[in-house]
Amino acid sequence: MQVQTENIATLIILTTIVFLIAPLFLLIFINQYNKRKRKHADEKKALHKTFQNELLKSQMEVQEQTLQRVAIDLHDNIGQLLSLTAITLSAVSINDQAGIPEKINSAEMLVKRSIKELRQLSRIIYGEELISNGLADAIRFELEWLNKSAAYTIVFNPLNYVQAENEAAKEIILFRLFQEIINNIIKHATATTIDITLQQSPENLTLSITDNGKGFDLNAALKEGKGMGLKTIHKRASLINGTAVVSSAPDKGTQIEIIIPYP
Amino acid sequence: MIYVTLNTVSELLCFLVGLFCLANDKQAIWKLLVVYLLFTLLVEVGGIHLRRVMHTSNVMLYNFALIMECLTVSIVFYQFYRNHKNKMAGLIIWLAVFFVCYFLELLSSGFKNFVFKTTSFMSIVFVLASMYYYYLILKDEEFRELKSYAPFWWVSGTLFFYFGSTACNVFYDYFMGDRTQLSGLVRYWIFCFLDIILYGCWSYSFICRYKQRTSRRSSF
Repeated sequence: MQVQTENIATLIILTTIVFLIAPLFLLIFINQYNKRKRKHADEKKALHKTFQNELLKSQMEVQEQTLQRVAIDLHDNIGQLLSLTAITLSAVSINDQAGIPEKINSAEMLVKRSIKELRQLSRIIYGEELISNGLADAIRFELEWLNKSAAYTIVFNPLNYVQAENEAAKEIILFRLFQEIINNIIKHATATTIDITLQQSPENLTLSITDNGKGFDLNAALKEGKGMGLKTIHKRASLINGTAVVSSAPDKGTQIEIIIPYP
Repeated sequence: MIYVTLNTVSELLCFLVGLFCLANDKQAIWKLLVVYLLFTLLVEVGGIHLRRVMHTSNVMLYNFALIMECLTVSIVFYQFYRNHKNKMAGLIIWLAVFFVCYFLELLSSGFKNFVFKTTSFMSIVFVLASMYYYYLILKDEEFRELKSYAPFWWVSGTLFFYFGSTACNVFYDYFMGDRTQLSGLVRYWIFCFLDIILYGCWSYSFICRYKQRTSRRSSF
């Protein structure tokens, strides 16, 4: 009887130990799973922070580019017109009564042109806010400025684009990408035509920019580390869950297509 | 000195920790736990008094205590579930089933024996409730620092106690039939050990709750 009692007591103790070890392992498992959850949450947080930083950077770059254009316009255009006005007015002589109306008319025309230019400039300054009117409007304003130089034949096709609500962050990053690509074309491509398409499909928004410039060897550029601009384009596109496809070859022009989920 | 046992000491310590940490808690459920711990301590002392001083059976006292235990633990679980899901119907159905089992067993034994079948059933339900709580935590997308998450430790203590006592519940009939000293000692020490784990986890849970409350207040 004593032996049986001892056996059963041992059995009960062992069973109890097993029944305590089981929840212990469960706790360890939950803790491990929770750690992974934290890692995932941290990654998500870091990604959000990077996105916010990149958004801020894009906003600042857009602002910087706008101010640069204002400075160029003030110096090259309005400044020249006002200088010409000053010269015209200083040439007015009381002794030359016959020439006065003509010179005053010229000065008036110059002042009117200056006013017109200033109005356009104010639109450029306001351009930063243009994103609030949609990406297509912002691109159109940017191209208006580029058209002034008459150096390019520019075609812009906004196809089915409808501005979506709460997508301003995506739009500002896409707009900044557009500016960056246009800057690259102006600086390096020696192109004469630029085709821009902004196409909205049910789930995506595609911005396609094609030029007929000198193009480049894509693989070589990336290998030689000259592709910093390209890397930035890819990085920013991926930040808004999009993709950037660059196609180029020497003397064949360049096409950059950015596809983002939208709206 | 007969009242000073491992059970009563662990219950007293847990009650004191609870009193210190939860007395000013804004949520009634935590305050209820302090009251419940005081009740448990009084039942334990009363049980010892009845058995060892008055030499009478303390079965009915523990039978009554079981109702309070079931109500308190069930309500606490319900409150913890509310952060994830609000199922009042589940709580009502469970309590109804419990009371039916409880009174049926009590009537069948003629109010003389401890309702161990209902206790075993209740233990299984609480084990499942604990696991369901873990499932909700795993499913929840929101991350929580479990090391300092009071409800998690309270549930863990509960799971250890009710899961760990399964063997004793299964062999309850044997314990009641076999009156040898060894048999009594095994049951006593197992429950002492389980009580220490239970009240240890609960005390830690109360400390977590206190820290959470005070850190939140100091951050304002």
